[in-house]
Amino acid sequence: MQGFMEKLSRLFALLGGIVLTVLIVIVCLSVLGRSLNSVLNGDMMQQALPDLANYLLALGIGPINGDFELVEAGMAFAIFAFLPICHLNGAHASVDIFTQHLRLRMNRFLRMMIEFVFAAVLIIIAYQLFQGMLSKLNSGQTSFLIQFPVWWGYALSVTGAIVAAIVGVYIAGLRVLEFSANRDILPVEMGADH
Amino acid sequence: MIGLLSFPALLILIFLRVPIGLAMFVAGLVGMIIVTGDATLPFARLKAETYSTFSNYSLSIVPMFLLMGHFATLGGMSQALFHAASSFLGHRRGGVAMASVGACAGFGAICGSSLATAATMSRVALPELKRYGYAGGFSTATLAAGGTLGILIPPSVVLVIYAILTEQNIAKLFLAAFIPGILAAAGYMIAISVYVRLNPGSAGTRPREPYSERMRALIAVWPVLLVFISVVGGIYLGWFTPTEGAAVGAFGTGLIAWLAGGLNRATMAESFYVTARATAMIFFIVLGAAFYNGFLALTQLPQEAASWVGDSGYSPWVILIVILCFYLLLGCLMDSLSMILLTIPIFWPVIQELDFALVSMVELQTARLDTLLASGAELPAVLLADAQTMLANGQELSREITRELGLRGVSDGVLNRINIERTAIWFGILVLIVVEVGLITPPVGMNLFVINAMDRETPMVETYKAILYFVASDLVRVVILVAFPVITLMLLPI
Repeated sequence: MQGFMEKLSRLFALLGGIVLTVLIVIVCLSVLGRSLNSVLNGDMMQQALPDLANYLLALGIGPINGDFELVEAGMAFAIFAFLPICHLNGAHASVDIFTQHLRLRMNRFLRMMIEFVFAAVLIIIAYQLFQGMLSKLNSGQTSFLIQFPVWWGYALSVTGAIVAAIVGVYIAGLRVLEFSANRDILPVEMGADH
Repeated sequence: MIGLLSFPALLILIFLRVPIGLAMFVAGLVGMIIVTGDATLPFARLKAETYSTFSNYSLSIVPMFLLMGHFATLGGMSQALFHAASSFLGHRRGGVAMASVGACAGFGAICGSSLATAATMSRVALPELKRYGYAGGFSTATLAAGGTLGILIPPSVVLVIYAILTEQNIAKLFLAAFIPGILAAAGYMIAISVYVRLNPGSAGTRPREPYSERMRALIAVWPVLLVFISVVGGIYLGWFTPTEGAAVGAFGTGLIAWLAGGLNRATMAESFYVTARATAMIFFIVLGAAFYNGFLALTQLPQEAASWVGDSGYSPWVILIVILCFYLLLGCLMDSLSMILLTIPIFWPVIQELDFALVSMVELQTARLDTLLASGAELPAVLLADAQTMLANGQELSREITRELGLRGVSDGVLNRINIERTAIWFGILVLIVVEVGLITPPVGMNLFVINAMDRETPMVETYKAILYFVASDLVRVVILVAFPVITLMLLPI
């Protein structure tokens, strides 16, 4: 079970990373296109090599249309896809200076309660995001420039949110087992890297 | 009232080890339910708010900068920086430690996170410090302090978040952080030289490098310079938006890492995992903060706090100092990003109401007149001479004179707007520094734990003893920057 959850979370982190990389490349190409466009439209090129400049401009060299919207939609998916691995590895920022003085049994109880609430929150987030997707689907809203339906971005994000919720339930279940058996199953703290 | 009570409740949750993002989310959710009577509002907000928060264009800088910092490590930039710094400084007394600080400052210029800078540089610098006979606690303290430069020297993830919260220009904040960042590095080097003079046995010596070797080491640093100049310079000059700058930086750093042979399928996947964990952690806190702040806005607490402080008649400086002390205390317990997300929505409206008189009408008119002259405008000579004398004597120009000169943008409204903007920038830099001091303040500063974990032989107490020199240098710097706002604002034209 742990192995499966690990694989699933890593898969989503990889997918999110790939989308992030693609977005970075899109933005860079857009910046490059915009700069080339202004050079080609500039006086120097228009006087020295007008035919070549206009030929290249006619090919459509310029900023990528709607790169802004692609970044927004893609980034939402990437962040949702990043949630499961963060949750599974216990990488959320927290303050443990006070609880380390509490008894072990008390700590296990606290961890159980926290993970219970966390799982509930992740489920609510995934469910409400799904509802949000349905309302975008019904309204038929599209993005401003390239006119892709807004619900596509929501639909992609919902997959990440659902996986995060599944991981949340899994962790909460483990913590219940730990508390009732009074022994550690998951490593207590895997450390946050930020 | 409920808004006021929510804050201690939230702190209790956080101190019970509830993840900070979750604590804020739950406090916001429960608070909204109490205020509105049922769960309709918070649930309705959730339909779109998670998506809109995660798809925020400005926030997309964060994962890009995090990825860039990881690529920079893979590209060997941390080694190159350390070797260059230590070939120039290494032979001095405490020189290898100074070189570590210098390299941290350099790495901070391509990495936006404090812990990542501290951890990355430690991997390179700790073995070298050991080799030249530097005491364990002194070495770990140096690197813990040096790591805080990562967040101060632009690009900085925390500054991006601050800029979004207070609706300020990211490029201007980056620029304003520059001089305080240099001052920090210089202050740490002074702290090091004081330390080695008072504790002569704590540092060994290292032979002087020949100049040919120094030049070679310096040339190896070019990728860092290239990335820093194109990203920060490009953002400031308006070639691209901060998000585009982050994308260009991440792409360039990735390319350099690939060319250096550090980037392959395995390390790429590892970069994604590290970035994923850190990004999700940050965005979950951002989401929780958005929810909590939505609740606070319902209770009107921020406006009430602002008007209460405004009416109380305390000097703005007293209020500023109280707030900074609060950050110093809380900074010992919490990471900088969480603190800023938690407190800025309450403190910023308060600070915004205070008048620090950072820019006077005379300064504004002088600056506008200079711009007008620089643009080559033909002005009546006698009137111009009169106006210049008046301004030089510290007298405001009357409305008639400004109209005849054609001087624009000198109304009280403009002055007020400029003052608020400069206050926001100055306050942001101060908060950032104070919070970072918390990161290295014993007994709980987080950087101390990260570095100490990498050097098991050194007892924590040794690190504590040495870090006090760096904390002292930080506090001196905070006092200077509070007393002279112009240092922070120097690079920003009025």
